[in-house]
Amino acid sequence: MSAEPTVETGQETPILEVRDLVKHYPVRRGAFGRGAGVVRAVDGVSFRIPRGRTVGLVGESGSGKSTTARLANRLVEPTSGQVLFDGADLLATRGRELKALRSRMQMVFQDPYGSLNPRMTVFDIVGEPLEVHGVSRGRARTARVTELLETVGLSGRDLYRFPHQFSGGQAQRIGIARALATNPDVIFCDESVSALDVSVQAQILNLLKRLQRELGLSYLFIAHDLNVVRYMADELCVMYMGEIVERGDSDAVFADPRHPYTQLLLAAIPGHDPATAKAKDRAVARGEVPSPSAPPSGCRFHTRCPFAFERCTAEAPRLRTSPATGRAAACHLLDDTSEGGPS
Amino acid sequence: MSSDVSTGARHDGQASPEPPDRPAAAPPARRRSLAEWRAGFTRFLRTEPLGAVSLVLIALVVLVAVFAPLVAPHDPLLQNRTRITEGPSAQFLLGTDDLGRDVLSRLIYGARSSMLIAVLTTAISLVLGTVFGVVSGYLGRTRDLLIQRVMDTIQSVPPLVLLLFMAVVLTPSIHGTIIALVIVITPSFNRVARAETLRIKEEPYIEAARATGAGALRIMTRHVLPNMMAPLLTMASLLFAGVIIAESALSFLGIGTPPPTPSWGLMLSEGVRYVEMAPWMVIAPGVVLSLAVFAFNLLGDALRDFLDPRLHR
Amino acid sequence: MIRYVVRRLGYGLIVLFLVTVFVFVAMTFIPSDAVDLMLADTGASEEQAAELRAELGIDRPVHEQLFSFLGGALQGDFGRSFYTDEPVMQLFLDRIPVTLQLGGLALAVGTALGVALGILAAVRRGTRSDSAIRGVAVAGLSVPNYVVGLLLLTVLGLWFAWSPPFVYVGPTEDFASWAQQMALPAIALGTSAVAGTTRMTRSSLLENLGSQFIRTVRAKGASERLVLYKHALRNSVISVLTLLGVNLGTILGGTVILEQMFSLPGTGQLIYQSVLDRDYPVVIACTIFYAGLFVITMIIIDVLYALIDPRIRAAREAGT
Repeated sequence: MSAEPTVETGQETPILEVRDLVKHYPVRRGAFGRGAGVVRAVDGVSFRIPRGRTVGLVGESGSGKSTTARLANRLVEPTSGQVLFDGADLLATRGRELKALRSRMQMVFQDPYGSLNPRMTVFDIVGEPLEVHGVSRGRARTARVTELLETVGLSGRDLYRFPHQFSGGQAQRIGIARALATNPDVIFCDESVSALDVSVQAQILNLLKRLQRELGLSYLFIAHDLNVVRYMADELCVMYMGEIVERGDSDAVFADPRHPYTQLLLAAIPGHDPATAKAKDRAVARGEVPSPSAPPSGCRFHTRCPFAFERCTAEAPRLRTSPATGRAAACHLLDDTSEGGPS
Repeated sequence: MSSDVSTGARHDGQASPEPPDRPAAAPPARRRSLAEWRAGFTRFLRTEPLGAVSLVLIALVVLVAVFAPLVAPHDPLLQNRTRITEGPSAQFLLGTDDLGRDVLSRLIYGARSSMLIAVLTTAISLVLGTVFGVVSGYLGRTRDLLIQRVMDTIQSVPPLVLLLFMAVVLTPSIHGTIIALVIVITPSFNRVARAETLRIKEEPYIEAARATGAGALRIMTRHVLPNMMAPLLTMASLLFAGVIIAESALSFLGIGTPPPTPSWGLMLSEGVRYVEMAPWMVIAPGVVLSLAVFAFNLLGDALRDFLDPRLHR
Repeated sequence: MIRYVVRRLGYGLIVLFLVTVFVFVAMTFIPSDAVDLMLADTGASEEQAAELRAELGIDRPVHEQLFSFLGGALQGDFGRSFYTDEPVMQLFLDRIPVTLQLGGLALAVGTALGVALGILAAVRRGTRSDSAIRGVAVAGLSVPNYVVGLLLLTVLGLWFAWSPPFVYVGPTEDFASWAQQMALPAIALGTSAVAGTTRMTRSSLLENLGSQFIRTVRAKGASERLVLYKHALRNSVISVLTLLGVNLGTILGGTVILEQMFSLPGTGQLIYQSVLDRDYPVVIACTIFYAGLFVITMIIIDVLYALIDPRIRAAREAGT
């Protein structure tokens, strides 16, 4: 495979595209079980991952990032929406076909130890996808697992050791080897480095980058640490309370955040670029994130937004893509030029 | 794929001073996991001295049961009509019963039926209860509801009453006893297995396995089951003790192991009438039965302490 | 709270219904017909046997038997004994006081002893007496309660030439005689409850003694004794209460043997004799009554539980 990723042409189908993904969880409210409501964990999320690229998903905890990833690979059934994997409708697929598609999308989790079964050897853990998808058996499987371990910087000597005999970084390498086993096209990285020490984080990030180069992988990279996302992502989606509030080229968003929430997030990074300094003064976090079972009216961010005005409490802004830059943001401040007054 | 580039490069350099590490990898590692078991066992013996004592007792009972014909000094069924209810002597170490049979030999053979029934009952209930519990806990919904209603139903009848009822339904025999005991014991394993499944289900490695594409059956057998062995083992040990008691109680009531076969419960019921004339007829089986039960309870207790990380303060 | 009790009662009824179904289905597996057994020695003809079967209603298919039983049960008729023709309900009600006295005493003895040992073990945790208590508790659990009864009888009979009275007298008629007759079986039955209660008391006391709440009480200057008995112990009651249910099952079952052994005319003796006589209507009804007894006690325990701990009350009322 060529080291250079294919240049995205716009016509090409993205490896993964999600449209209007929604996940509502029913909840019992109050001490007497009356008045059932819903938590809108993910509420109409759309994005696409071009082949060989990395899309970063950022937001505070509880913003629905992780759920979005689990909806996209159907670990969790969406309430509604569409997932197109390499052009195929994932949500309409079942049985053997679904299993085949699953082998092409794998996941690396947050907790390096927790995501490895403590009773299984490295060989069993990394070999499990091979077994599940009937890829290889016997000697061939041993060889493949060894190869995978070497790919992620471990060795064949580790084959029959147990997870607790490894450091956190090594354990995460095992998780990555498992994800690579079936030669996937997409890997979902859900806070994959946030549980690791900073020095180890860099090693794992570099490993992921190298693997992307060598294997042509696409990533959905979820993190709350913006520095990490900035290092990894080509494109960025910012989530707040189950919705994407800003989307665009990673560098562009970091250089010039449009949405007040993005500005707030960036301002919180210590020693960040002065480009956001102007917002820093005003964009201080006001109050707590509201309860997801009772989201605020209008723009969900208006309770904390330093720029909120009347319209924000009444009307939810739509995510508008600017044709010129390809960037998108959902904020009334940004579209009052194109559409005057309430419609 | 491209990873061949790196590995291939290493294998091209056959002359390199660093020897390839791949071939020797497997055998020592396999042994290591065995060594881990052994290390765990030694640690158990050291931290749980009572557990060690119980293991010795259990080994003793099991060995005696298995090698009963070699160990027993007399034929357990042989009636010495001239030597009835004789006290302990050099010939009859624990005396004779009302029919002149050697009490010690009967105790030794009694261990056989007791252990046989306890082992079979515990093993069958363990398997059934675990399957029900894991399926119920992992798949949930209707299956859970159905299985748990059945278990609740069984558990709402006091164990011995249920056993009495089953005695009416089934012919008194060893396999009848086992069937009845299995019905009584299975819900306890089910309860443990289900609770453990509900806990394990939330572990990240279960989600990780689902993400690799593993199906429900595979997750239940490969991921859920191996991680609940500790509490199941503890439960098995405690219930084993309970089964020994229940079996002896049934024999005592005359609805368990049918008469000529020596059994501890039967010996106790025969002894009741001779309490004042031949107290050894009650004391000997009473003590042996209690010691056997004690050993398994002690083991269960020690296992619970040893395997429960929360108790290590 | 009332809603919770009603829901618990409803669920209890479902369980009892399922027990009834289970009992009748199981009865179809009976190897030899009761009638054959009843008439075995009388030399009755095949015709007479068929007549008797029809009279007893056991010639019909199971589901019909089940429905007619349930229909009768709704009117308080749970069938009649094959032999004495007495209503089973009456037989059971006549004998239940003895069983309840015995069971209640045993539960009280076992729990009191268990809590006392548990407190002692918790106060002396880590010392030799702690492990000694643990050993004693496990030993108590290991001697089957009927063996305890037997050994007590043996020892008292041999060394003190004492045996319990053989005719049951109610506590109101002759309390001393009643107490004499009840004491041994109650102690024998109670031993099985000691081990679990000791362990539970010990661990929950240790947990509570380490809690934030207790530390606050201590900081306020309360004496160790006050801390232990007033505050920590009260919180431990809840966990001991949960064990009552488990112990109850064992003890109710245990009454069967001990009533027999100490010639107490209770329900345990009734069901045991009926099993030996193959008096099916009595066995069936008694099994269901025992389940009812157990279910009702569990409901009472659950309600007590909810009354003691307001947090649980809130959760129960909200949840399932």
